[in-house]
Amino acid sequence: MGNCFKSSSNDDISLLRGNDTESNESTIEPPPFVEPPPPYRAQPEPQRRMPIYHPSPGVSRPANQLSEDEQIKIAQRLGLINHLPTGKYDGTNKKAKECVICMNEFLIGEPLRYLPCMHIYHKECIDDWLMRSFTCPSCMEPVDAALLTTYQTN
Amino acid sequence: MTSMEKRLQKELQAMTKDPPAGVSVNTNSLSSSLSEWIVDIEGAPSTLYEGERFQLGFKFTSRYPFDSPQVMFIGPNIPVHPHVYSNGHICLSILTEDWSPALSVQSVCLSIVSMLSSCKEKKLPPDNAIYVRTCSKDPKKTRWWYHDNSV
Repeated sequence: MGNCFKSSSNDDISLLRGNDTESNESTIEPPPFVEPPPPYRAQPEPQRRMPIYHPSPGVSRPANQLSEDEQIKIAQRLGLINHLPTGKYDGTNKKAKECVICMNEFLIGEPLRYLPCMHIYHKECIDDWLMRSFTCPSCMEPVDAALLTTYQTN
Repeated sequence: MTSMEKRLQKELQAMTKDPPAGVSVNTNSLSSSLSEWIVDIEGAPSTLYEGERFQLGFKFTSRYPFDSPQVMFIGPNIPVHPHVYSNGHICLSILTEDWSPALSVQSVCLSIVSMLSSCKEKKLPPDNAIYVRTCSKDPKKTRWWYHDNSV
């Protein structure tokens, strides 16, 4: 859960355990009769183990079921996303107070990502979207076109 | 709570506290996970649909807001409109390829109200008969059929 709520203070143990966060502490020990996992565990857990990618909008597939072309496209996309600047919310930006993807207010210290069109999102929220569509959710500007423009002007 | 539930909870709060004109969430219709909503909408004043009431059915997957919701007209009154099929399916690009996670239930409802408002003549889509006979139940799937065959 909480795509946008993971603080940067994660210790090594949390990495080993996967994706458990504050509210599902009690579920670490599996119950004796295993029911289908509660909905909040269904999504994030398998994603950690076997990343799920979206080779085209609306299509979701685990990493081991992608064609070679799709893998190349996804690798290129990951590379482009990594070129986009990141930072941590420090409360000084009075304009951007909320991430329009999760609709939560930015909290001090949360990782952010800045798009070339100057729109700002939680890093986890926007990275998830950019892997599906390389456009800004707010202005629909194609991010790669805007990236090229910034290279040319520099 | 999943991120989808959290976000829908926020949207529900905002829409019940400060509902936009002519749009109201039918709170009796909500499932506990908020994955299905019914929203009542009203034709805007001085338009062809003035005074008419319609119902929109919303279905959300666990990947909302990254995946668009499934949205269609439901109930006894389906508006007669060139972009609304008689089975309730709506031809509106923000519901499929132009979806953005910055959109919301509220913005989708307002788009649909404004789509109705700008209508000049109440008539069915030209391919309504064949579409309704052959389409899938899920309008998110049938949109592709529409594009491939009518363009």
